[in-house]
Amino acid sequence: MIGAVDTGALLQLVWAAPLVVLVVTVAWALVIRGTTLALEARRDGGSAVRVGLHALVAVAGGALFLAALVFGLIVMTTK
Amino acid sequence: MESDIILVIVVVTALAFDFTNGFHDTANSVATSISTRALAPRTAVAMAAILNFAGAFISLEVAATIASGIVDAEIVTTTVIFSGLIGAIFWNLLTWYFGLPSSSSHALIGGVVGAAFAAAGADAVKGAGLLEKVIVPALVAPLIAFLAAGGAILITYRMVGRLRPGPVNRGYRLGQITSLSLLSLSHGTNDAQKTMGIITLALIANGDLTGANPDPPLWVIVSAASAIALGTYSGGWRIIRTMGSRIIKMDPAQGFSAQTGGAAVLLTAAHLGFPLSTTHSITGAVLGAGAAKRVSAVRWGLAGNIFLAWILTLPCAAAVGALTYGVSRIFGDGALGPMLVSISLLMLMAVVFGKRLQRGPALTTAVDP
Repeated sequence: MIGAVDTGALLQLVWAAPLVVLVVTVAWALVIRGTTLALEARRDGGSAVRVGLHALVAVAGGALFLAALVFGLIVMTTK
Repeated sequence: MESDIILVIVVVTALAFDFTNGFHDTANSVATSISTRALAPRTAVAMAAILNFAGAFISLEVAATIASGIVDAEIVTTTVIFSGLIGAIFWNLLTWYFGLPSSSSHALIGGVVGAAFAAAGADAVKGAGLLEKVIVPALVAPLIAFLAAGGAILITYRMVGRLRPGPVNRGYRLGQITSLSLLSLSHGTNDAQKTMGIITLALIANGDLTGANPDPPLWVIVSAASAIALGTYSGGWRIIRTMGSRIIKMDPAQGFSAQTGGAAVLLTAAHLGFPLSTTHSITGAVLGAGAAKRVSAVRWGLAGNIFLAWILTLPCAAAVGALTYGVSRIFGDGALGPMLVSISLLMLMAVVFGKRLQRGPALTTAVDP
């Protein structure tokens, strides 16, 4: 009866699912961190480079989050 | 003529199940967004309803019905399907009454298993299928989601914990709207398919559809999508309250971690061909997001009641499915049995709801939207 369970997929799920959650979490945290720090730096009169670097972090996080979102949509439409 | 009457009863019962499926599972996508004030309650359920409706049109993989591989396909008649649906509706309504999130898919499987058992004995039920499709996913989903969401909230606090709370909270509320959309779309795709599958199966059994894997007619797709969307819009406020604020009091970052963690686990599992229950994943993720911040913040007594409901889902829905089948069969093979059972249940529900309404506010507004 145990053979009925796809243990390969199950084991893959055990590491893949937390990895996806980690990527999504870090991506959105980067968006928030980058945006907040960029706005603070601009408000405090920080250099353009500093503001730009924080904004870049936010954009990178946003791109990663968007990629994860597209992955989710692809899974939904092709399963 | 008689088989047409049974078909109509099965279609109506399937749509009724779809409706209960919608309002029972609304909490999965909207509860955390409502409790963290990412969205107003009515806006959240309206958004979830629209996306559930849209999700029903995304994929039409109806061939694999919900109980395939779990019961012997040859003994599945319209009466077995009808009885299984009654078992599932009963369990959905009972758990909703007590505000407990539980899997509608497992309830439907339980109902069909019970009816199949009553129809053809133990040989009709495939233990390996039950283990693969019900028991293992029920253990795996909450555990992985618990660990993933717990890890996610720890990372989140580490990365944004020292920033000003205002923009951080606004950011996570915005993120929750995205995860709500993804979850609702995914729910519509998955769960409306179950009803479409059941109605298609009944149409095949009645000789109205032919071919190995016929596509469901447009009216089946539209009616299943509408039923789940209407159910979602009705909002199972009791379960929303349990998921959103009774298990833990969550901040927007926890809400985001729970919702996104649950969604990511669900979609990764679907990608690997290992479908999990939305309810089990999201509940596990809510518990994980709460426990990672502070173990004592979780109301473990309530969590215990939820776990108990999960354990009881299959046997209770099966018992009602078997009972319904037994009662229907007393009146022979025809439409009379299902018809009498349907009328009796409708009358019973009218009496119960009527009495409850006389005593106080409507059941569906236990949490005022």
